[in-house]
Amino acid sequence: MKDGRLEERDTTMQDTKIKASNVQVYYGDNHAIKDVDVEIKDKTVTAFIGPSGCGKSTFLRCLNRMNDTIDVARIEGKILIDDEDIYDRKVDPVQLRAKVGMVFQKPNPFPKSIYDNVAYGPKIHGLAKNKADLDDIVENALRRGAIWDEVKDRLHAPGTGLSGGQQQRLCIARAVATEPEILLMDEPCSALDPIATDQVENLIHELRENYSVVIVTHSMQQAARVSQKTAFFHLGNLVEYGTTDQIFQNPHDSRTESYITGRIG
Amino acid sequence: MSLIWLFAILLALAVAGYWMTRRRAMTSAGGDVRKLHSLPNYYGMNAAMLSLAPALIVLFVWLLAQPLLVDATVTRMIPDEAIPDASNRGLVMSDVRRVSNGLDALVDAGRMSAQEARDLSTDSDDIRASMAEVGVALGSDVRPEVLRAAQRYRLLTGRGDLARNVIVVLIALAGAGLAYRRTTHEFRARNAVERGMSLLLLGAASIAILTTIGIVLSMLTETGRFFSQYPWTEFFFSTNWQPRFGGGSDLGFLPLLWGTLYISIIALIVAVPVGLFSAIYLSEYATGRIRAVAKPMIEILAGIPTIVYGLFALITVGPLLRDWFAQPLGLGNSGSSVMTAGLVMGIMLIPFVSSLSDDIINAVPQSLRDGSFGLGATKSETIRQVILPAALPGIVGAVLLAASRAIGETMIVVLGAGASARMDLNPFEAMTTITVKIVSQLTGDTDFNSPETLVAFALGLTLFVLTLGLNVFALYIVRRYREQYE
Repeated sequence: MKDGRLEERDTTMQDTKIKASNVQVYYGDNHAIKDVDVEIKDKTVTAFIGPSGCGKSTFLRCLNRMNDTIDVARIEGKILIDDEDIYDRKVDPVQLRAKVGMVFQKPNPFPKSIYDNVAYGPKIHGLAKNKADLDDIVENALRRGAIWDEVKDRLHAPGTGLSGGQQQRLCIARAVATEPEILLMDEPCSALDPIATDQVENLIHELRENYSVVIVTHSMQQAARVSQKTAFFHLGNLVEYGTTDQIFQNPHDSRTESYITGRIG
Repeated sequence: MSLIWLFAILLALAVAGYWMTRRRAMTSAGGDVRKLHSLPNYYGMNAAMLSLAPALIVLFVWLLAQPLLVDATVTRMIPDEAIPDASNRGLVMSDVRRVSNGLDALVDAGRMSAQEARDLSTDSDDIRASMAEVGVALGSDVRPEVLRAAQRYRLLTGRGDLARNVIVVLIALAGAGLAYRRTTHEFRARNAVERGMSLLLLGAASIAILTTIGIVLSMLTETGRFFSQYPWTEFFFSTNWQPRFGGGSDLGFLPLLWGTLYISIIALIVAVPVGLFSAIYLSEYATGRIRAVAKPMIEILAGIPTIVYGLFALITVGPLLRDWFAQPLGLGNSGSSVMTAGLVMGIMLIPFVSSLSDDIINAVPQSLRDGSFGLGATKSETIRQVILPAALPGIVGAVLLAASRAIGETMIVVLGAGASARMDLNPFEAMTTITVKIVSQLTGDTDFNSPETLVAFALGLTLFVLTLGLNVFALYIVRRYREQYE
């Protein structure tokens, strides 16, 4: 475990994938995110932790402009992905979301077959040349979602018929199928039992090879297990951001310390 | 004593029972509410319930039974010879009732004492004239048997009413008394009230069910009578509808079925796309402010009486279609047509389809939309590929419900499509539907024993089976859809 951490620390030297500066989010009159500055590295798992209502999910949804679908939400500040401002007028949020995939808190497979669930994104974005190509994409995505072996014999069964953990891995496969560069995960294990959680966490480890993964979690153990970098949010502020080891072993801010030792939250 | 007074007395008894029982409960607990099994109000409610419910049930049964019994007794006083040739027993009995009412009116107006009314005879007085003065119009002079029967009728009814009032009040008193006697601080009044409530609700539910059964049974018997006078093969398979009240009619229902289906299909072709698209707009695209205005506006359409739509069809749409489409295209020059009725009926059904579909689309979980947006799908892609497939069974259910309304619609068809039974493909031709023909077979001076009128029941039953089938199918689909999320 310790060796793994040492190796992981090297990743902090890699390129910056997302750079947010001075981000403010308002829900109507409610100032939900205040002055958040953060740099998220490529090929790294970054965890957002913090008590309920601290704004970590809200901030996550800024990164693929999912907040655009909420009428009352208003965002200020700058978020750059690969040095491109995603809130720039020229950027099409629909294209952006293909590049920044998202996995939600509750597994939400479409009421379609397993195959069609995964093929949905590639079909919309025209990623497949022909049927055989699409079959390959679906198989690859399901393999990367670590669910291929379980569903390969029933690709045309409804996705809603799978168990909760399988559904969530299907949703991850679905997100992976559109070839994103960043994967946002909003409490992906909160609706899952411990075994399914373990499967999804293993999957996150593997996904790190190819993607920049940002995960929001309520569980500090999970953050410690899966992430290399951790950001602690409190009352809409980004209180502390650093390597996971540093946050959990040597927090600089007293609020972070209170939270990880269980005194607030 | 009229019924209204009886009700007032029953109500007063119930209120009195309520307060007395409540006080008794309090006294039995020594004024300490905590020692009572139930809250004091429950003891009172128990008494009110026991005094009202049985009394009202007896009253209701009595009101139904007494006229039947009195009629049966009085009708024996009229010999068969006393019934004129052109009349029948039922008409004579209604004369008897009218004269009896006239006597009541005379006594009430103070023109006659109760004794005089009893002793009145046809020899001495001009009864018809004096009754006309108090507002009771008689068709002919009163014959002696009718007057005697009416006097008897009046006597029996009077006695019956008195007995009814006394018995009902006694039952109410007994109920209140029973509740009063049983009230101690240990009596479980709360449970008794609970049982009473469940019986009340059960009663309400069974009234609805019994009525349905009654309607179906009466339709079945009348339809049976129809088919005993008219061959069922002719009815179901003949393509000719030509009722003649002199007899020798052709009563094939296929032209009517064709008209019904043709008009309904046109109506659905109008209503389903417009209704569905407006539902999609309202639930997925419209901002809160537009939705707050537009949704009630669309639903106002549902509040317009169908006769008003009929007028719209007759005066505006019909001539418009005739002058701009039918005549230029050489498809006839009829002002009323299948197309007119179908279009207007379609407009009527728009709010029906749109508000049901709106509810169904809103029931699709937000998480599915998020999932689709999160994969980089646009709004219309999300709607076409995720939301509509998920909502499809519910939407099909909504469409089927709309279809069963279209099949049962009458007014728009009468005014829009006319009343001539015809099987034709030309949508600008006048045709008619099952419902319209039911109306036209039953209105006017009719004899309820000829196949020409009885056919209405056969038509009604066919229509009932048709819409029932559609409704059951729709409910089945809607229910299956509900199980789809969690």
